[in-house]
Amino acid sequence: MCAMDVAELGTLTAAEVIDARGAACPGPLLEARKGMGKVAIGDVIEVWSSDPVTKTDIGAWAGKVGHEFLGVIEDDGYDRVFIRRGK
Amino acid sequence: MAEKLMFMITHGLDHPEHATIPFVMAVAALASDVEAVIGLQADGVEIAVKGRADSVAAEGFPPLSKLMNDYKELGGKILICGPCVKSRQIDPETQLVENAEVVAAARFVVELTSATNALSY
Repeated sequence: MCAMDVAELGTLTAAEVIDARGAACPGPLLEARKGMGKVAIGDVIEVWSSDPVTKTDIGAWAGKVGHEFLGVIEDDGYDRVFIRRGK
Repeated sequence: MAEKLMFMITHGLDHPEHATIPFVMAVAALASDVEAVIGLQADGVEIAVKGRADSVAAEGFPPLSKLMNDYKELGGKILICGPCVKSRQIDPETQLVENAEVVAAARFVVELTSATNALSY
């Protein structure tokens, strides 16, 4: 379940934007993990992925490791996935 | 108890998907703070020979060599069946990737029985 709707997500400024377009599973997940290590607790990262399963995969991962999956904006041929660092 | 997954691979160059998917799973496990161990038996030992995974790519997945490198960077270990290595005339001292460890049945039993879940490919 997404914590924010598209309008709310559009107001966010990500501390780190990760372009993982073109990478296949588990590439975007690994990039998200690396990106999360660069930001402070409470900050938001944004992952761009052209792999349609990334949004559900990162949502599952975030819940597992203690981050907050905020939601997804569908852009032109890719998804913008927003996660808030929780720990 | 800490969560731990074990992936047993018995295919190598003969079946790219069966060799690749467990590494996808193991990488995702390690990225999710879940311990992962990969065990190679039978034809699966082939992919631990240096350079041999370079030619393995299953459609829709990253190349096996990239996944194996990601797995190593995340601290993953690969356990390899000793008799399977010996029967294929693979030199364990010089031919295997660096995060590989040649073991025998009892070590596999220890790893499998201490895992939360084990999957065989």
